[in-house]
Amino acid sequence: MKEPTRTIVYICPYVPSEWIAAHGLRPRRMVPVPLDGAAVIPRVEGLCPYARAFINDVAANGEADGIVVTTVCDQMRRVFDLVVRRLDTPAFLLNVPSTWQTTAARRLYLDELKRLGRFLVRLGGREPGKDHLAQVMRDYDDAGEHVTGSSRTDGIPVVVLGGPLMQRDRVLFDIVEQSGGCIVLDATEMGQRGRRSAFDRRALAEDPLMELARAYFEIPDASRRPNSELYRWLKRELAQAGARGIIFHHYVWCDTWHAELGRLKEWTDLPVLQLDSDGQGDASIARSQNRIRAFLEMLQ
Amino acid sequence: MIAPPRQIALEEWDREYERLRRAGMLQPIYGGPLGRHVEDGDTRLLKLRYDNSPAALRLWNFLLTEEDRLRAAREGGKKLVGAMKDLGTVPVMAYSLDNLVAFYPDGAWWIPCVMELNAGLLQIADSLGIDESFCPVRAMLGAFVTGAHFPVPDLLTCSVGATCDDFSAIAQRLNGLGHPILWWEIPHRRSPEGDEQAVTLPGGFSASPSQVEFVRSELERIRIALENLAGESLNEPALARGIEKANRVRRLLERLRRLAFTAPVCPMPALEMLVAEMLAIHFCSDQDETIAVLEDLLAEVSRRVEAGVGHLSSQAARIFWVNPVADLQVMNLLEDCGGRICGTEYLFAHALDPIPATVPPMEALARTALADPMVGSALDRAARIVRDIRRFGAEAVLVSRISGASHCALEGEIIADVVREDCDIPVLEIEVPSITDATSATLSTRLQALVETVKDRRDT
Repeated sequence: MKEPTRTIVYICPYVPSEWIAAHGLRPRRMVPVPLDGAAVIPRVEGLCPYARAFINDVAANGEADGIVVTTVCDQMRRVFDLVVRRLDTPAFLLNVPSTWQTTAARRLYLDELKRLGRFLVRLGGREPGKDHLAQVMRDYDDAGEHVTGSSRTDGIPVVVLGGPLMQRDRVLFDIVEQSGGCIVLDATEMGQRGRRSAFDRRALAEDPLMELARAYFEIPDASRRPNSELYRWLKRELAQAGARGIIFHHYVWCDTWHAELGRLKEWTDLPVLQLDSDGQGDASIARSQNRIRAFLEMLQ
Repeated sequence: MIAPPRQIALEEWDREYERLRRAGMLQPIYGGPLGRHVEDGDTRLLKLRYDNSPAALRLWNFLLTEEDRLRAAREGGKKLVGAMKDLGTVPVMAYSLDNLVAFYPDGAWWIPCVMELNAGLLQIADSLGIDESFCPVRAMLGAFVTGAHFPVPDLLTCSVGATCDDFSAIAQRLNGLGHPILWWEIPHRRSPEGDEQAVTLPGGFSASPSQVEFVRSELERIRIALENLAGESLNEPALARGIEKANRVRRLLERLRRLAFTAPVCPMPALEMLVAEMLAIHFCSDQDETIAVLEDLLAEVSRRVEAGVGHLSSQAARIFWVNPVADLQVMNLLEDCGGRICGTEYLFAHALDPIPATVPPMEALARTALADPMVGSALDRAARIVRDIRRFGAEAVLVSRISGASHCALEGEIIADVVREDCDIPVLEIEVPSITDATSATLSTRLQALVETVKDRRDT
């Protein structure tokens, strides 16, 4: 089979990479880098640094043949307007319902995936047959796309919880380890929490697109209404992980995650460390380093 | 004798009130001197300036007595619906049933301004982890905790999906505190694609039929909840009557806005016009009285326009205002700086547009909900603003950012881009917190600069 030559860039976990791949296109889940001097959006009071980094990064690297943004976050929804207005790259806004308890919400997500499929075809993709989609899904499942896992070490077991992380903020994981901790659960958007569950092979064989939609729609997130499934997931995962503390990360101006901090503290018996980041400069990281060290010392 | 239009301070209003009362002014049951609201803690009223007409007095008294009406409604056996976020759709459904009263707890965002932070609502929000990085609507959390500003509703609904993250997050926090919420989805409005037919929405936007059908199905869930709460059927004839009544309010506001924004001399100040527009979203908890208040105001404005009298000079800069202000005093400030309002988009334009009467009621309401400027792209919103700028003859646009609001970080820039391109008029962005005392000098300077720019452009 011919290697895909056109790249579709996205960042949101509710965009199924298998769906893009099944259309013969290359899915690339971007982890943005904040670029100094990037011009699409200057630094703006009130703007989430992650959303800003995304559009500036997409504009700067020019690698994308298509961009998929979702409605999960209001600021990203607004960023889409700028993508359309200021970039030449074709872009698609995927409506991901916030509600999840009704059949209508699930149907809406499924219909949106079909609409995404038509966008991908317009970009040169091929509409996948049922068997082809099923095969792509099985291949991804077999490759362990849904699993991240984390190897335990002897450090103090902690969980990192929050929304998405930029590349530079992955350094938090190194800081935790260097400070004597070990991350037993990565519950950020790029970690286990942002991954779909394994496909049900029987359902996959019967109706692969429906199964794809099910697996992705059930990803727990703070943005869902109600977001009780996030806490149900956390309860289960925390029990398995044996963590002694939670490091809670959010970007400034990310209302969705920021607002969860108070509730999380009420909900859990574990100590919670808040790390808020403006995504800029080393000062933010140095501050986080000090806070993580102090937190881990306290947990010893 | 009718006094010429003037803006007067609260103390003067109270003296004028006594004069009018002695002269036999008829008052509604909630009438009285405005000064009494200060005794309830609404101290910001002391710093505002008001239109001196009895119609404006009635408008203010109606606004400032809503809590009393809500408590009276509950005592009278009515059920209270707290509609959150959709700004204009769910209340139309609720008021179609005789024993329901709907209001927006979101309105608590003005309490920190009106009570000059003395109510402590923002501190309560802080203590719940909702700090100043969120929009002032976080005051709503404090209001629920204290129960001092409105009764806790019997049913809470909240539209989510294509809404601002602040509100959605705050409502989720409220839910986490034990308040059940009926969440309903409003998807991001998109234009039809491929062979989809376009459905024209109120206000001129378009959507795909599948989106209209989806929202209709979501509103069906609301209908069932309202029926269960009211204990009676919310059938099509009842909804049609409710829509017709809501449209009466909307038609009155349309005439009022057209007259006020296009008259050669400004017949009604910005502040009173803002309050009047707000009545459209939930009728200040009394639909019939809203109609009466607006009829009164419209009569006053019509009389002034006919007589060619009003506020400010005919040379006042004609400003189109985008977004509501958290501090009401800023509307006075614009007039101090020589500007007048000629067009507004306070985030609830869909509550001003007539609800379609030619389609079944639930579909009509779905179309209205989807016409919300917030649920579509900022480019759509900008296009509507451009249309209204031309309609009302505005000479500049003022985008008033709401501190901490998720949509404000980027939206203003997009609106400014489009307005400059399409209308070639100046655009200014300001940020308005709940209390602007510390920044009023800066705000004045910026507003003066905008007014001067407008006047300079007239000369060239």
